[in-house]
Amino acid sequence: MDGSIWVAFVTGLTAGGLSCMAVQGGLVTSSLAGQIENEIAKPKGKKQSKVPQKPSIRFVKPIILFLISKLVAYTFLGFLLGSIGSVLSLTPTVRGILQIAIALFMLGNALRLLNVHPIFRYFSFEPPASIRRMIRQKSKNQENIFSPILMGFLTLLIPCGVTQSMMALAISSGSALTGGLLMFAFTLGASPVFFLLTYLATKLGTLTEKYFTRLVAVALVVFGLIAFDTGLNLVGFPFTISRFTQQVRGDQSTVQASTGVLGSQTQNIPTLAPQNTGNDVYIQVQDQGYYPYKSIAKADQTVNLHLVTDGVYSCSRAFVIPSLDISKILSATGEEIVEIPPQKAGTELYYSCSMGMYSGMIVFE
Amino acid sequence: MKIETFIVSDMHCPACVMRLEALEDELAGVKRITANYKKQNMIVEFDEMQITSLEIKDAVTEIGYTIA
Repeated sequence: MDGSIWVAFVTGLTAGGLSCMAVQGGLVTSSLAGQIENEIAKPKGKKQSKVPQKPSIRFVKPIILFLISKLVAYTFLGFLLGSIGSVLSLTPTVRGILQIAIALFMLGNALRLLNVHPIFRYFSFEPPASIRRMIRQKSKNQENIFSPILMGFLTLLIPCGVTQSMMALAISSGSALTGGLLMFAFTLGASPVFFLLTYLATKLGTLTEKYFTRLVAVALVVFGLIAFDTGLNLVGFPFTISRFTQQVRGDQSTVQASTGVLGSQTQNIPTLAPQNTGNDVYIQVQDQGYYPYKSIAKADQTVNLHLVTDGVYSCSRAFVIPSLDISKILSATGEEIVEIPPQKAGTELYYSCSMGMYSGMIVFE
Repeated sequence: MKIETFIVSDMHCPACVMRLEALEDELAGVKRITANYKKQNMIVEFDEMQITSLEIKDAVTEIGYTIA
């Protein structure tokens, strides 16, 4: 599965589920509780409590209906957002900038949740009062199975901060299919947490919600930093955490040894790719990244970059060179040749996957 | 009808806004509540003959918020 889809799923499973619960949970539980109440007792007066004292097995069906409805709605939304992104035909650099903006939004949201400063409250979008009122009114009419389905769809109007970030990511994917898959994976990931917390919601009060808020904030910081880092990779920024991590892990390797500039990194010459000759540079594209991490090419002449794949199914197949605006979708198995125009000696050309997760560089000498 | 603004200092997300506004359906005599997360306040339009400011504050405290 594409790495970015996994990231979306894990984001949903951790930060997404908790964050969505914080925003939509109260509304949903009160509406579901209302439905249960209608089933087990005569409708009560306007001023009476709608929340039963113990969670009931009868919650399961409406919650599942709600979650399925939400999953369908958000997948469709992702599809639409991806379509919008494809129409806009975003370049790798624009995608990188968008991703950095998403990262800043996530980090701002984390600081908002931690109540660091009132200014961070502006990182939260509230639906207008009229829409809030409409959702509330709809949630009270719990007479049949269509109500939880309707509620699932209505959550589109009150997306949490993490969901909003994911929506922006769906746009930046520039593909209807990827956008739909991203939102599907994210919403699916958020569902188990949402289910459990909704089910237990009658026992979870505001206090618990506040406790989860901190958990969400921590998760947001982690995912925000990852998004920021991948965004920097996408715009071709040389100093990123992922590049540094590759160095520390010893994954970084160099083909066609050079003196001085590369230092000890030249010790690990891989056997994965054919040896570079003349104007040809070979890069082995794998599920976990690009090998070698660093390649040496001749300056002042056109270079043929051979991208070799062999059963690759991760996002490393979506290859981009931000500074040259080159973007290629590689076949799972095969070889694609990318022609790189002459570069001056000393130029460092950074490339990455389209999500900025995997990266590499070519040095011209 | 009277319109009064209350400070609710511990709203921590937009969900709190909806929770506070839901009191509009719970409290007799309250015509409209508009809460604002960014400003940490809620504007309440209510009939003084049916409900007092104190009763509104009690209701807000009861659902877990600090009101001034």
